[in-house]
Amino acid sequence: MRTILTLIHKDFSLFIRDKASVSLTFIVPVALIYVFGQVFGINRKDTGPSGIPFAVVNASANPAAGQLLNALRAESAFKVVTEFKNPDGTTRPLTEDDLRPLMKQNAFRFALVIPADLIAEKRFGLRLRILSNPRNDIETQTVNGILQKVIFSNVPELLGQSLQSRARDLVGQPQLKDFNARIARTVADTFGVDAAVVERDIADGNFGLRRLDQLEETPPAGAATGSPASTTTRQDVFSQIVKIETEQVVGQDVKAPAATRVVGGWAMMFLLFALSGSATSVFDEKKAGLYQRLLAAPVRRSQILLGKFCWGVLVGLVQLVTLFLAGQLMFGINITGHLPTLAVLCVAAAAACTAFGMLLAAIAPTPQAASGLATFLILMMSAVGGAWFPISFMPDFIQTIAKFTIVYWSMEGFAQVLWAGASLTDLLPILGILTAIAAGVMAIAVWRFNRGTIFG
Amino acid sequence: MLSLQAVTKRYGALTALDGVSLDIARGEFFGLLGPNGAGKSTLMSLVAGLRSPEAGTITLDGRPLADRTALGFVPQSIALYEDLSAEQNLSLFGSLYGLRGRELQARVTAALESVQLADRRRDPVKTFSGGMQRRLNLVAALLHEPKLLLCDEPTVGVDPQSRNAIFDFLEARARAGLTIIYSTHYMEEATRLCSRIGIIDHGRILALGNLDELLTRLPFEDEITFPATPATAPFAAQLAGQGALTTEEGTHCFRPPAGYKLSAFFAQAESLDLPPRLFTSHRPTLEALFLHLTGRTLRE
Ligand SMILES: Nc1ncnc2c1ncn2[C@@H]1O[C@H](COP(=O)(O)OP(=O)(O)OP(=O)(O)O)[C@@H](O)[C@H]1O
Ligand SMILES: [Mg+2]
Repeated sequence: MRTILTLIHKDFSLFIRDKASVSLTFIVPVALIYVFGQVFGINRKDTGPSGIPFAVVNASANPAAGQLLNALRAESAFKVVTEFKNPDGTTRPLTEDDLRPLMKQNAFRFALVIPADLIAEKRFGLRLRILSNPRNDIETQTVNGILQKVIFSNVPELLGQSLQSRARDLVGQPQLKDFNARIARTVADTFGVDAAVVERDIADGNFGLRRLDQLEETPPAGAATGSPASTTTRQDVFSQIVKIETEQVVGQDVKAPAATRVVGGWAMMFLLFALSGSATSVFDEKKAGLYQRLLAAPVRRSQILLGKFCWGVLVGLVQLVTLFLAGQLMFGINITGHLPTLAVLCVAAAAACTAFGMLLAAIAPTPQAASGLATFLILMMSAVGGAWFPISFMPDFIQTIAKFTIVYWSMEGFAQVLWAGASLTDLLPILGILTAIAAGVMAIAVWRFNRGTIFG
Repeated sequence: MLSLQAVTKRYGALTALDGVSLDIARGEFFGLLGPNGAGKSTLMSLVAGLRSPEAGTITLDGRPLADRTALGFVPQSIALYEDLSAEQNLSLFGSLYGLRGRELQARVTAALESVQLADRRRDPVKTFSGGMQRRLNLVAALLHEPKLLLCDEPTVGVDPQSRNAIFDFLEARARAGLTIIYSTHYMEEATRLCSRIGIIDHGRILALGNLDELLTRLPFEDEITFPATPATAPFAAQLAGQGALTTEEGTHCFRPPAGYKLSAFFAQAESLDLPPRLFTSHRPTLEALFLHLTGRTLRE
């Protein structure tokens, strides 16, 4: 018993001596749980996405279309865009022709077109067109769900108007007016309300179809409650009336959409782990006194660091390309079709990740601290950067932080190449950002290496 | 060839080298002898250009240290890539000194042979014994044939066979004209190898010279015994006035006072025609001098 107590005490002493493992055991998990909680929206009242850029082209003069637009604006999930920014800074209303190029550039991934003939004169019902870039599955499904909710809860008015316009077609304006007036009078007489108000309501198409909403509460027999089927009834009714055309604008030719969507996030995580592992080699070399030997030779510190950096980039490049090619073999992702562009992007991503690994080696006092810190930061960056969960679902401040992560920009790049088929020119902004991150992080790392004890 | 002028190196508040001046001539086998923490490695790293001193200058052939190829440095630790083979390690270090192709190949082979590692050339260094690793660590600093070799405790943790192999190797190189600075805290290494020795402690050179010069600085404190015979009686009478002389069972025992010179003792004995073999004493050793200069307190 005494022996065991002594041995336990020894482990305790070792443990509290090692600041890295103490913080890994207590501080890091708490911090990670906080971030994950934010990322996955636990504990938020307004769970669900927010601020997803959503373009609306409203070509209809109908006031109901304006109402639909306002309803979309009121939806916190969307950041509604209706204007096109000219290069000179001025703006003009978006047109349908603007949408597709902008969506290819990933300015937004969803758009709604309310056509001029929203309420067609010649037929009954409504026409809407939804354009989407379903780059992320969860996001696309959620956006579609929200969009349906907004449209359908505004349908009654639109539908009433549609009925009116159809009636006008059939019987002509004077007769319709007369018809409306008679109904209004009957309703007014029966229910004791103002006939003029009722008549105006009828003319606006507002004659109580909102009750259709209540259909939602009565799911078809046998459907499990809470399942998507619970809206089927209402949808069934509305989909007869509202004709929604959908068009996939980007990625429609992607062969393996599901795999193509996730491959970038996975690749980034493995890349980061591999490179942070190689960062600890710096400590091994220092411990063995190899830097003394190298620096006593005609070798400069900057050359050692540059050599390490280039090696990291090379490993990263080969690893990424291997992962992607494996994705092609196993899941049919089209890699070879994008290989040159993808390779350039991989170099930029690997450079950023390598710089990150070198920074860890430069700031961590021990290899244990370096790998602990690496695990922590990799999980953070992957979560925050959107490797696991679309960032549009995260709180605004996390969405802002995401823009500072390597994971975010790399995944953005991979999606641009593999999903949207971006060319090298399209990719320049992202390449620039990744390169800037790599250079900035590397500069800090070099500065820390020169001040630290690695070469001491 | 190598000259240090009032070189001072600090680590924060700690002064690791305190105004060290030292001149090392071409072809010298210079021993830097000092206890743990004396500043030996610090001095080596300054000469190797790994650190720069806070004060003072270090010159090689009158010029500041610029040409790294003139120098070979054997770090105190085994600075080898232990997952690589002996041959790969040597090729790597040779390449860093600008050696290429056949030339590199030939030198690597020669180096491996010179330390009896040719038959293990393809084995990873981590499978080597401590002695083999030390030999490789040493020879890795010589591929580019430097003029000056810095050996920082190259025999730590090595068995007598390997140690002798290293000594033979270094002696051969020294005979071939290589200048060597060799740091150690083993007295017998300095005694055997070095043509000149500097004793360093607390960042200062306490004594400098060849072995005999250093020993004359040692106050003679040991007792000397010699037979109590009529022939030695006059000498005993002389000594009685110079120190403590006791006689027991036909043997005189002389304990000299502090500062007494051994040379004075033997000069008197000689003048009385007494042969040195009559006297039994412990010849003063470098160790005695070392302990005399550096004290007996335990070091870091
Ligand atoms: N990088 C460093 N940072 C701070 N102090 C150091 C550093 N290197 C050495 N020292 C200190 O400087 C002093 C001289 O160290 P040095 O390594 O030169 O001694 P040494 O003679 O080589 O000792 P040893 O025989 O143990 O190798 C010691 O007190 C040591 O603690
Ligand atoms: Mg040392």
